[in-house]
Amino acid sequence: MKRLLRLSFRNKDLPPFSCEFVGRRRRVLDLPLIAWLTLIWVLLWSSPNWVNLLTGAVVAVAVCLAFPLPRVDLGLRLHPWGILMLAGYLLYDMYTSGVRVTRQVFTDYPHRAAVIAVPLRCRTDLMLAATAVAVSNVPGGSVVEVRRATATVFLHVLDADSPAVLDAARRSVWRLERLTVRAFGTSDEIARVAEPPPPIPAHDRKDGA
Amino acid sequence: MNVWFLILDTAGAVLVFTGAAICLLGVIGMLRLPDVLSRSHAATKPQTLGMLLVLAGVALRLRSGMDLATLGLIGFFQLMTGPVAAHLVARTAYRTGQVDHGELLFDELDEQLTEEN
Repeated sequence: MKRLLRLSFRNKDLPPFSCEFVGRRRRVLDLPLIAWLTLIWVLLWSSPNWVNLLTGAVVAVAVCLAFPLPRVDLGLRLHPWGILMLAGYLLYDMYTSGVRVTRQVFTDYPHRAAVIAVPLRCRTDLMLAATAVAVSNVPGGSVVEVRRATATVFLHVLDADSPAVLDAARRSVWRLERLTVRAFGTSDEIARVAEPPPPIPAHDRKDGA
Repeated sequence: MNVWFLILDTAGAVLVFTGAAICLLGVIGMLRLPDVLSRSHAATKPQTLGMLLVLAGVALRLRSGMDLATLGLIGFFQLMTGPVAAHLVARTAYRTGQVDHGELLFDELDEQLTEEN
């Protein structure tokens, strides 16, 4: 008899916590992803009963089969204390960010904005993306561009008149990077962000007055 | 008991009102700021804060476990998707030349892009 389903703990080729359908086309199902999609389904229906759980699981499997994601090693680890720290900082920063943007909106002098490059220390895609998302939610800048090869984010900063503001923006990005990696990163990445930040590339500031 | 419900309801109403006001400030910012990138600041940050405050206010009014979880889900997706949308708008604006480079004090991205070409 031909086996239709293979589980990852019997088969070392598959990523952990996943199972594989051996059919006409092989499809690998990521079980944590299915659990998460099912959870979202149940939460959207707002009543945790068996019918919702079952239909949610069916929908999640169907979605995963219909739209298969590329196999990547996310390198996602969850550190509860780190996540709490990150959430706390994000909330605080979001409050100050709201206040600052509001102040900038209602001042009448012209804003001198700038686009700055901030080199990061982490190297994995997920950490890069998570840091960019965290940075977008806090004061300092909005992300214009992320360069994956050099792990550099480019931020648009309002009120870039003084070097102190730019320094603060860079430091806040590095602090967020450290917090993000400590919340979700592997131990490699955590060791990497413990090092001092990379030197800022020199640039000639042109004063377009 | 009733007093506590009254306090929770009032606090919820205050939070919803504050959140709505902050969202309004964000919209005013979008109208007042000069270019796309500055406007994306005003469009994302106060909105996210306002949205979270409204959700917190609604949570204080509803006070039931499942609704709280749904509200948490909404907040989570707001935090996850807002930056992505803002980044795409900013990136597209930058790449299609909608950004007035004379207005910028300096631009470290432009230097890198021109180095490549």
